[in-house]
Amino acid sequence: MSDSPQIAITVRNLKIGYGEKMILQNVNFQVRRGEVFVILGGSGCGKSTLLKNLIGLYTPLEGEVWIDDEDFVAAKDNERLRLLRKFGVMYQSGALFGSMTVLENVRLALDEFTALPEPVKELVALAKLKLVGLGAAAQKMPSELSGGMQKRAAIARAMALDPKILFLDEPSAGLDPVTSAGLDILIKELAHHFGITFVIVTHELASIYNIADRVVMLDSRTRTIIAEGRPVELREHASDPWVRRFFNREPDSGDVVQPN
Amino acid sequence: MTAAEQNELETDVQVSSDGCARVILRGRLDAQTAVACWNNLERNLRDKKIETLEVNASRLQFCDGAGFALLRYLNMGKMTPTATVSVIGLEASLEKIFRGFTKQDYEAFRPALRKRKNSLPGEVGSAVALASADLREQVTFLGDVMANLPPTLLDRKRMRWPEVRHVFELAGANAVPIVSLISVLVGLIIAFESAQPLAQFGAQIYVANMIGLVMVRELGPLLAAILLAGRSGSAFAAEIGTMKVNEELNALETLGLDPIRFLVVQRIAAGILLTPLLTFYATFMGVLGGVLVTLGLGFPLTLIFHQLVSSIHLSDVALGVAKGIVFGAIVSAVGCLRGLQTQQGPSAVGISTTRAVVTSILLIVLADAIFSIIFFSLIK
Repeated sequence: MSDSPQIAITVRNLKIGYGEKMILQNVNFQVRRGEVFVILGGSGCGKSTLLKNLIGLYTPLEGEVWIDDEDFVAAKDNERLRLLRKFGVMYQSGALFGSMTVLENVRLALDEFTALPEPVKELVALAKLKLVGLGAAAQKMPSELSGGMQKRAAIARAMALDPKILFLDEPSAGLDPVTSAGLDILIKELAHHFGITFVIVTHELASIYNIADRVVMLDSRTRTIIAEGRPVELREHASDPWVRRFFNREPDSGDVVQPN
Repeated sequence: MTAAEQNELETDVQVSSDGCARVILRGRLDAQTAVACWNNLERNLRDKKIETLEVNASRLQFCDGAGFALLRYLNMGKMTPTATVSVIGLEASLEKIFRGFTKQDYEAFRPALRKRKNSLPGEVGSAVALASADLREQVTFLGDVMANLPPTLLDRKRMRWPEVRHVFELAGANAVPIVSLISVLVGLIIAFESAQPLAQFGAQIYVANMIGLVMVRELGPLLAAILLAGRSGSAFAAEIGTMKVNEELNALETLGLDPIRFLVVQRIAAGILLTPLLTFYATFMGVLGGVLVTLGLGFPLTLIFHQLVSSIHLSDVALGVAKGIVFGAIVSAVGCLRGLQTQQGPSAVGISTTRAVVTSILLIVLADAIFSIIFFSLIK
């Protein structure tokens, strides 16, 4: 149960892992409606695994994930399908279906889940593509798009059924700074104009300062959240020195190469 | 209960005789309610002589992407081509989104459906071009392998014998159970099938002779090779194909390592070494299956053994082993070639494995036919 209608996602006492191996525990946070919420942490700390638990690809070992007012973890088949429609996901590689055109990728969910007439479905898909700046690429195959364009197309596909929440896995990974900044602007605009709530997994600092309203930071040593707040505040005032180092991009003393 | 409460959308369509039409929308216009709304509009507006259409959206409480698409469709005059259309009364925030996609956008983005022109001569031509290009690649590959095989074989370090041993184990030792099962069963089946017609001539004891000859000369090598193609030829193609997709082959080349010398030669060597053994084993198991049936028919083991030995000559065994060597080379070389030919894309590795198995089996049967012709003319 979320504490107020302003809360889109509530994560409570989540413990995740593979089989016997625990990766994160005592994960608690709330995502407010319309905010850009970033999950960050060093490489291998379990960010992507946490995301996969939030979107239901993996089942948490313990704990609850509430989307709107419903427990997603405990949901049975039909409820689960309905809850799945409340959010869209962009995977790290875009994960566009290679055998379909970009337009068909965006249309897929409309074809499968709505009874809308053909021209309307096409118009919905074209409008989503325009929103992410890819209208002209509608008839291209995913393999003909650059990495940044593939991610944009994947966002358009995730938005086909107008979900209120979008999960993005590493949106800026592998993109040049200009393309990455363009994607940041898109995310901010979608959050601002359409009230979409974003949950983003990333470790790109530049991007975090640009877009994040709030962040939670995961830590692979304590295997839980070690900091939560606005990025600038964390950079200046975090109690944990590792968090300050992360935000200031300082290496571990052990990692510094000593010249002979 | 009003329609608006039931469906959460009420669509009011008024068409007057002077060609003016008015649509009033109340409630929620979303992906669910838009369907009924569309049907209603189709019924009342499509193919009617309408000069002006006014869509009043001032009582819309909610509109999603599908709703906007429907409004845009109307606004572009797609449903009423003769009419001047206006969409009025949208709340400011909705209006802004509505105006975000215009008729110009639609015309610019709308796919001019890609039509592939199919013509019989064109298709035949491109198929021939593809086949000849493939043949050229096969010949080039054969040349590459031939050029690389002797120097690599002679150089112990470059040959990477542990890799050969690994392939040998995967493709050979691990194949033993399935080869045993299938060979025994095929031996059993042939013995059973032939026992009945031979019984009519009182010649059931010749089941042993036939099984011996068929297994040693034909089925042993064929079974071993086809199983090898299915298990290991496809695995070679998938393995090398995935390496190509992951740019591992590029990495090898930039390290100055030729993929043929580094990956292919080992697999072909393993294939050539292991297939005769597998053939020998498959033959033995097949004959065993046949012998079991013959025993079941009531013949003593010594008699069966005598029939076998008298029907199988050394030349038959040599032919079987020779076939094994050639088939092994074909399967492993084709598997590697198809792997190296892998294109980009999600289905590329799948296509490569399919092509590896199909081409292998085709070439195995072709080679078998050539063997039969040669052997027939030799003993004539």
